Amino acid sequence: MRLLEVLPVTLPADGSPVEPAGFRDFVQARSNALLRSGWLLTGDWPSAEDLVQTALAAAWPRWDTLVRQDAPEVYVRKIMVNTWLRWRKRRWNGEVATARLPELRAYGDVFAQVDARQALIAALDRLPARQRAVVVLRYFADQTEAQTAAAMGCSVGAVKSHASKALARLRDAPGLSELMTGGVAS
Amino acid sequence: MNTEGLTRQERQLAEMLHRVTPEPPRGLSTEDVAARVASQAGPRQAGSHQRHARLSPANRGWTRKWAPVLAAASVFVVISVSAGAVVGLTSHHSPAPVRGSRPTSTGPASSPASSPSPGQTSVGPSFAPKTVAGGIWGTELINHQKPPFTQDTLAGGADSLYTLAPGYLDRIKPATGQVVARVPFEAAGTEPPVVAGGTVWVVSSYTDTDVVLEGFSSQTLASAGSVRVPVTGQLAGTPSGVITSGPDGHLYVAAGSAVAVVDPGHGVIKTIPVSAGPVSSVAVSPDGAKLYVSTGSFELLTYDVATGANTGSSSAQGIGSFIGNLVATAGGVWGTVGVGMSEWTWFAPNANLDQLIRASQAVGAGADSVPTYSGGVVWLAGSTTLECVNPDTGQKLASVAIPTDSGVLEHFGRVTVTGGGVYAYYSDAKANLAGLAALTDTPAACSG
Repeated sequence: MRLLEVLPVTLPADGSPVEPAGFRDFVQARSNALLRSGWLLTGDWPSAEDLVQTALAAAWPRWDTLVRQDAPEVYVRKIMVNTWLRWRKRRWNGEVATARLPELRAYGDVFAQVDARQALIAALDRLPARQRAVVVLRYFADQTEAQTAAAMGCSVGAVKSHASKALARLRDAPGLSELMTGGVAS
Repeated sequence: MNTEGLTRQERQLAEMLHRVTPEPPRGLSTEDVAARVASQAGPRQAGSHQRHARLSPANRGWTRKWAPVLAAASVFVVISVSAGAVVGLTSHHSPAPVRGSRPTSTGPASSPASSPSPGQTSVGPSFAPKTVAGGIWGTELINHQKPPFTQDTLAGGADSLYTLAPGYLDRIKPATGQVVARVPFEAAGTEPPVVAGGTVWVVSSYTDTDVVLEGFSSQTLASAGSVRVPVTGQLAGTPSGVITSGPDGHLYVAAGSAVAVVDPGHGVIKTIPVSAGPVSSVAVSPDGAKLYVSTGSFELLTYDVATGANTGSSSAQGIGSFIGNLVATAGGVWGTVGVGMSEWTWFAPNANLDQLIRASQAVGAGADSVPTYSGGVVWLAGSTTLECVNPDTGQKLASVAIPTDSGVLEHFGRVTVTGGGVYAYYSDAKANLAGLAALTDTPAACSG
């Protein structure tokens, strides 16, 4: 890791930080999409919110620069992914390699949606972290291979490799094949 | 969704991700982020994040949305240039809480075993009771300090309530909601305190090698010692209820693939191995004879406390994951499945998951739906209904719908009876309000 850069955040006397121009609009417009990406990465809403808040808080002090570069979302997603990868490396967030994965039920069942989500998260839990990050960035956040590579700090070739392996694993995950071919009502 | 340039399988994956990934239960506001920016010098940043990082990220993260806006003059955000991510924070303000340090209790700090004097000085502000949730069952918010205590951490003692707020263990006077004793304390995760005898036990460390419990006087919160429990095998990835107490005053601690029986005065006196794998939750039957444990693969096992022998097991498939928060009654075992918005409560008569009964709707807004056995009944809370049920049969005794605040869920958690009153964690994300609620008009049927 390179040297750390210290960015001061000056707070006025009342303790509330000064809101950068345009930040509120961005949060309003993009927070749901970011939270959904966070959910795919972490598997639960509280952690997803934690992740998105962490990324947005890190973007806050340099917001004006990011806007000038027309890259706020790219930057926020980059922070999200790298923060999450570091969480995974530093702490184990509870992904349990269970012998029994949730079975998908007959559909029309009121629990079908919950089951589908749990099957998805269980399958994502089984992916290595970088493969999961590629899946989220490339196939959910609609990032190009080059953008995904830039966010993750790796080559386009590495992104292709992660994507290919992830796709193969997900195809074999219990219940995912049916979900991918639309077998479960959304 | 842009599927240009994707293969058919990639397109199917992308479509499935967009279709199955749910909408968040609530949006994120600029105020949430501002609070995070301001609070990054707060007490939770005392270096404990890494040390205790393995416990329940879900609830820890959810708690952070309530982080306070601190009146610090300057906060320094340290950003990793290579990763572009926050990796550490520091401040010249808000000194770090110290585990086991002397409490700011009104009791004399030099005599931790002493009882508080009548009329002791409160360490927290008083709040005028505020009617919330449409006043269902006479609900009044009696403590809404900032930051509020962490959901899932409300516990009752003989005449007190105990909560973990970020950086603190608090003792709350039920009649007024005032914090009457407080000690700086960094909990590992969001396990609720366990009151055994005159001591409040909380998990201070949960690592690969050991689980450490810190004890505090139930009156003054003065330090009353600590217990270290070595971990056997691998820790549960989703711990939810890893410490409980039995009627004999012993503590039962899930520590990997074993449950340690702890005599607070003598340390670990017995270890019960659990071959099925890491234990995510423990409960002891009211008569103290049976120990129930859950594992991550959705198994519920029964052990004879006296002999340590495994006397029963059952499992359930296809209903979800992350079994936990066990509560034992004479009629069986209660628990939860799932996390966050998919969490719901079940009842297994005779501790047999083959007979599992779904007891509550899935809770929303990332909140919990942890059952509690208090005052002679089991309480089921969440965001849909507030109920008391027969602890042995699961029969509903009384129920009330929980309203929303302009469409945003309101939430009740960990209903606890103490001193004749009924209390619960309450939150309203719309109003950015959370704290301790008194249920002043519960139905007679809930009196146990």
